[in-house]
Amino acid sequence: MKLSVSLQESNSRGELLLRTLFGWLYIYLPHGFVLIFMGLWGSILHFISWWVILFTGRYPQSNFEYQVKLMRWQLRVNSRAYNLCDGYPAFGLDAVDENITFEVEYPESLSRGLLLLRTFFGALYVGIPHGFLLFFIAIGAFFVNFISWWAILFTGRYPAGMHDYIVSMIRWSNRVNLYMLNMTDNYPPFTGKEIES
Amino acid sequence: MNPDNEINSENSNGAVISDAASNSDYYELPQPDEISIREKEDAMGAYLMMFAAIAAGLPLPVINLVASIIYYFINKSKSKFVHFHALQALLSSLIVSCVNAAAVFWTVRIFLFHRLEYNDAFKGFILTVVIINVAYIIYNLIAAFQARKGRIFYMFVFGKIAYERIYKVKSNVHVEPIRNMPPK
Repeated sequence: MKLSVSLQESNSRGELLLRTLFGWLYIYLPHGFVLIFMGLWGSILHFISWWVILFTGRYPQSNFEYQVKLMRWQLRVNSRAYNLCDGYPAFGLDAVDENITFEVEYPESLSRGLLLLRTFFGALYVGIPHGFLLFFIAIGAFFVNFISWWAILFTGRYPAGMHDYIVSMIRWSNRVNLYMLNMTDNYPPFTGKEIES
Repeated sequence: MNPDNEINSENSNGAVISDAASNSDYYELPQPDEISIREKEDAMGAYLMMFAAIAAGLPLPVINLVASIIYYFINKSKSKFVHFHALQALLSSLIVSCVNAAAVFWTVRIFLFHRLEYNDAFKGFILTVVIINVAYIIYNLIAAFQARKGRIFYMFVFGKIAYERIYKVKSNVHVEPIRNMPPK
């Protein structure tokens, strides 16, 4: 998986204030409304894909691409929620965002044994360890987000270290999601750093 | 074969066959080894939309119909093979949904509003609905497995309709109406 959100040279203070005060109205409400239905469709495809993997050992490619595009869309919106980049997130599954890269390699085959293991015990061996760590990382992200907000307001730049921290958290949680959504057989690493495959 | 059709009849194999019995032209059916795995999966997915209500966690059979409609419109342009299966799945889902809706309506009228009588006609209809639903599930599963193998499975009535709709060569000769005329 490849996930990156580019660090902008400078961030707009005006957009920061606009997002903070009215973001819920012009970004999160319209996107959230559409994403609810897209997510519902995604959950239907996920359920069907589960059975297809069980019988054929393959994730239907069209369904896989839909899930990746949906996650990319959510990432576009989340990046604005964390003030990682400026600009209005584009609507649509095929939309492109120059600040964001999210690529997932399509697995030609998936293990049926792992599928069952994940379904019945995924919460135990993935949810608990990763959830435990991500919980504390998310608490840290709350404070980092708060500090970075002030940093952008005064300096017009998102501090690089803080940017990395937030992106790492998003990358980590996306890896866990991909694994739990049966889109990869690779157990998610306990790091948010980019890993060369 | 109609020469007009000859000009416009292009299928995935670029071939058209003539049906002597009905004197109509049909696109040649693709064989399993000519169909990509992705097309096979997309075709199979059409039948699995019957589980959409379970997946969505909503106990509304109409969800299956809505899912079939959405799936049809997303996939109909992919290939004739996918289009055929998506349409067949949609048609079967449409009929079953109507029958189920009637059953729900009748049941609600009897047990919730006490407007109708619980009689043998109702029992007979419910039994019919159960049989139709069981047959629908079995036929859909068979069709899904066949689609995954790249084969075409014709369901009762719906198969013929879908075949006619998708594989029959239509004349694409389209004459643009003359709108701009010289002054009189």
